[in-house]
Amino acid sequence: MSTRLYPLYQKGGPQLRIFLPNFWLKLIRPVHEQPPNIVQFACSMEMTKHDIKNYLEKIYDVKVAHVRTRIALGKTKRDIVKGYITKDDDVKLAYVTLPKGETFVFPDCAPDQSQQAKDEHDKALNETKKGYQTFLEKNKQRPNMPGWFRV
Amino acid sequence: MKAFHIIKEHIILPRRSISVTAQRNDLMEFFDDKNNWGVQEVKTGRSWKVEELRLKSNSDLHKLWYILLKEKNMLLTMEHECNEKMIIFPSPERIDKVEESMENLEAVVRERNKAYHLLETGENGERPEKITNNAFGLQHVYKESEYAIIPKHMNEEWLRKDSYRASGKDLRDFLLKYKEKVFVENKKKKQRDFNHVCGLLKRFPNMDMEALKEQYPDVDIEKAKNSKRSRGHFVPA
Repeated sequence: MSTRLYPLYQKGGPQLRIFLPNFWLKLIRPVHEQPPNIVQFACSMEMTKHDIKNYLEKIYDVKVAHVRTRIALGKTKRDIVKGYITKDDDVKLAYVTLPKGETFVFPDCAPDQSQQAKDEHDKALNETKKGYQTFLEKNKQRPNMPGWFRV
Repeated sequence: MKAFHIIKEHIILPRRSISVTAQRNDLMEFFDDKNNWGVQEVKTGRSWKVEELRLKSNSDLHKLWYILLKEKNMLLTMEHECNEKMIIFPSPERIDKVEESMENLEAVVRERNKAYHLLETGENGERPEKITNNAFGLQHVYKESEYAIIPKHMNEEWLRKDSYRASGKDLRDFLLKYKEKVFVENKKKKQRDFNHVCGLLKRFPNMDMEALKEQYPDVDIEKAKNSKRSRGHFVPA
């Protein structure tokens, strides 16, 4: 349940208990359409199916019916100019099936901000325009003189 | 008497207020609060310091670890989704803060573990390490681990992978050249630092000498001051 080193189990020894698990787990939007009761996760590379099941049941109190995992290969890209190859990290994906009758819909948690960004841009532009107008107003009485000139 | 009674009823006694967040135990814990969806900035406090965590009990630290772990998972989920949607993830420093808190918490737990083991067993209870020579005769830190006891001559994997040790004239020649290389590199670095300090003194003669000394502990500042290289292009007064 964590990346730390634990003592080997010997017959009669205490059961291994993990107090500070350091595995991460993130819920991701499924790339391909999935049935409504399947949730897709990306997780630490060291996690096993049993780890994922225990993690969700013990920490998040989510009932799990079944877990499948696979390791997705990172994409390889060739640099356009120099021609060398770079590769993204591999990532372990987990497909978790919820018990019968439970469904999960991925929420729209990152809504499009283009309208908001546009509003802010317009606001800044208007302020700049206003500032320029006041600058012109200030220098009205001094024709043919550069704006930076002061007596 | 009655008046006193009324006053007493309306007095608010100083009481430590406890903030309790509503516990949600479902998959929505992987997502941020709905008010923080699509905003430009999320304001947060600082990370937990080691000194603060030292005051907490073991059970409190245990609870805090899971809070931090859930927070980290939530932030990673949100960051992933923002990257997928090509949106700027608001306040990405939150992830660093959580990770720093987790590091500090683990440091405190390790401290307590060490103290306990030293008291009970006389050893610090950390994973044992020893300095050994590797196949090329260079020193490295070997982290020991538990293993089933097999005699070395029967341990085929060890014989195949790790038993080779260079020796004789080849090793002596290699080490001689390797050490020479390291020595020359160090010497060059020392000279380079000295020259750089001289340049700094030339451009900024009134700079903070303490800070300079701290950044370049190997450089003799007095010698650098007297050096020809640190003299500016002006007539000395």
